Amino acid sequence: MKQVIEVSVVPPPLPQNWTPPESSSKSISPLVERKLLPAGHAYLGHVRRAIHKLSFEEHDK
Amino acid sequence: MAANGTIPNGTAETAKTQPTVVGINFGNSYASIAEGLSECIANEDGERQIACAISFHGEELYIGNQAKHQLVKNAHNTIIGFRNILGKKFSEIPKDKAVVSAPVIQHPDIPDEPAYRVQVLNPAPTPLPRSTTGTPAASNLPTPRSEPTPGETVLTVSEVTSIFLRSLVKSAEDFLGKKVTGAVLSVPAWFDEAQRAALEKAASDADIHVLQLLEDAGAVAVTTAVGQDTDLPVDRTQLVVDVGQSSLELSLLSMRHGLAYSLGTITDFSANGDSIDEKLIKFFAKEFTKKTKTPLTVCPATDNQDKRAEAKLRLAIEHTKRTLSASPGAATCSVESLKDGLDFTGSINRLRFDMEVRPIYNQIYDKVKELVESAKLDLYDIDEVVYVGGSASFPGLDETLAQGLSESVVTPFTAGTVIGGGVGDPTTILARGCALQAQVLSSIGHSEEDEEVRKAFQNDSEWTKAKATSKSIGLIFPEENAGEGSLGGQWVPVILKETPLPCRRIVGLQVEVSEAAKVGFEVWEVKEGVKIEKVKPPKDEDDPEEEKQEGGNPDEDDEEEEEIETKEKTLEKESFLTSLLFDVEEIEKKDGRSTARIEVQFLLGADGKLDVTAWEVKKSGKQQKATATVSGPS
Ligand SMILES: Nc1ncnc2c1ncn2[C@@H]1O[C@H](COP(=O)(O)OP(=O)(O)OP(=O)(O)O)[C@@H](O)[C@H]1O
Ligand SMILES: [Mg+2]
Repeated sequence: MKQVIEVSVVPPPLPQNWTPPESSSKSISPLVERKLLPAGHAYLGHVRRAIHKLSFEEHDK
Repeated sequence: MAANGTIPNGTAETAKTQPTVVGINFGNSYASIAEGLSECIANEDGERQIACAISFHGEELYIGNQAKHQLVKNAHNTIIGFRNILGKKFSEIPKDKAVVSAPVIQHPDIPDEPAYRVQVLNPAPTPLPRSTTGTPAASNLPTPRSEPTPGETVLTVSEVTSIFLRSLVKSAEDFLGKKVTGAVLSVPAWFDEAQRAALEKAASDADIHVLQLLEDAGAVAVTTAVGQDTDLPVDRTQLVVDVGQSSLELSLLSMRHGLAYSLGTITDFSANGDSIDEKLIKFFAKEFTKKTKTPLTVCPATDNQDKRAEAKLRLAIEHTKRTLSASPGAATCSVESLKDGLDFTGSINRLRFDMEVRPIYNQIYDKVKELVESAKLDLYDIDEVVYVGGSASFPGLDETLAQGLSESVVTPFTAGTVIGGGVGDPTTILARGCALQAQVLSSIGHSEEDEEVRKAFQNDSEWTKAKATSKSIGLIFPEENAGEGSLGGQWVPVILKETPLPCRRIVGLQVEVSEAAKVGFEVWEVKEGVKIEKVKPPKDEDDPEEEKQEGGNPDEDDEEEEEIETKEKTLEKESFLTSLLFDVEEIEKKDGRSTARIEVQFLLGADGKLDVTAWEVKKSGKQQKATATVSGPS
């Protein structure tokens, strides 16, 4: 299910001299291994997307 | 398997007939059963929490709370506590516990098999099918059929479990007016493979089609993932506190958009409902002696009269405890002929009760701290507390834990959902979670791929393995004069640490727009922590109240010196990943501020590759998207 999380803060305007920094070549920190609880709609969706090889967008439909 | 009529045949009819599936919370002392999200189903005696007890009395078989009442006069024919020893060998069962019911014996024929021996009356000569289910008939039958003959029956733990479960499902079927076609049963985290297998067998012997044995924490996740009307974030850390009759089970759950996993669990068999009962029974026994000058020694009782009195008190305090959890006023406990023909009525209010059980609350609190520490988290990281089990209904426990938790933590007590069978009710949460899970499972079809999906719900399925983030990722909106040591702008978290992959999060917000009608942000990974500071409280100048009280009491002075701990959540930039800058068109001017509405999507693939997409939300619906990609960790 596509769901937008509402954020209540209103960020300030960009500083005048700000230019977007070059993307770093860094990736996110190493991932950790976890064991999901096989429970609920969310788990069903997780497994369905994996087995049917669907993206989130395709699964929304 | 064959017992249920949901076997697919691919016709349209099967799709139409809704299967009747239920959830069963099978505890060691109480069980409950539910269908869908509605309250638990009451049995024919009007009970929603049904005591896990069966009792043989002559030709009768009692099941549930009626059976429990047999513990006073017919204890040796009354079987309780069978859930916890299901799937165990006789030699594995500890024998050091005081026995207040039919003792566990070695089965006469099956090696190393635990069993119970009970006295029954076998009806003769025209044996009616002995009812193993439903309400027993009234005991004063008008005319006994001929002479029943006394006999003995040996039942295995598995057989006892089957009898009990069948009765549970039967009363649900009577209520629903339909046959139950499948069930999800809750199991404690410490149940091993043998115990799971034994439960599954006992259930199927009771003609119950088991859809899944679901860990208690899983049932909690299902119930709390839906139907929350509080402003709880969809991504949060839950502390589950299950105070069962026989054990305390604690788990920390990472709950991410309904997808949950455990960050750690602790089971403790010493802080439990039994120990609460013990305190209460001792309290009333003392009261009795004070009032009547009749000695009464309980917990443990050695004398037979005392044993019986203890059994009576144990039954009577069920009512007392429910009153105590529901209201702060006086709760009574009345027992007719408690000892020596003397009646007893005593009362206790919540304040006094909390004092009596304080050591147990504290023990639970210590275990919570131990768990949080072992998960390398802080009490402040907990966003929500979920209580499970009848003994977790006491506000005193919540007050005890609140000491260390963040002020913003949501508990069923703060949310006001603790009573009434709804989302926060500790006594129904497991059965309702299992019932919802049963619906989830029966929504799966029967194609080849569907079968694969169904298998993913089996214990230890490969699909339960997932990679998760170790740091939180979000946006920093740069700010003109960001203070020294700050993040340099407004932080908006998007994907929290401990989020299983793949995942997608979309945040929507108003942002202030620069003169050039542009919006931009940086994407960062951050390190979160909790800063603990010990400060000496200011000398009581600003507190005239306290000054008055300071009548030179040295003890109080000492206490005043004690340092206060203050905690604060901290954020540090860990690594810069990427940034985005884009134009916005529909600018709203209000209160001297120009803002636009944007949405930002993070898509984090199973391999850790991150796609960031941002767009302006326009009335026209037309969207210009800005995107950036961060490759996954190698
Ligand atoms: N509303 C209530 N207020 C106070 N105590 C209650 C309430 N409802 C039930 N209890 C108590 O909770 C206890 C039962 O707890 P629970 O149903 O969690 O046990 P269980 O799950 O069978 O035990 P275990 O988890 O050890 O197997 C009983 O002692 C009962 O008296
Ligand atoms: Mg329990």
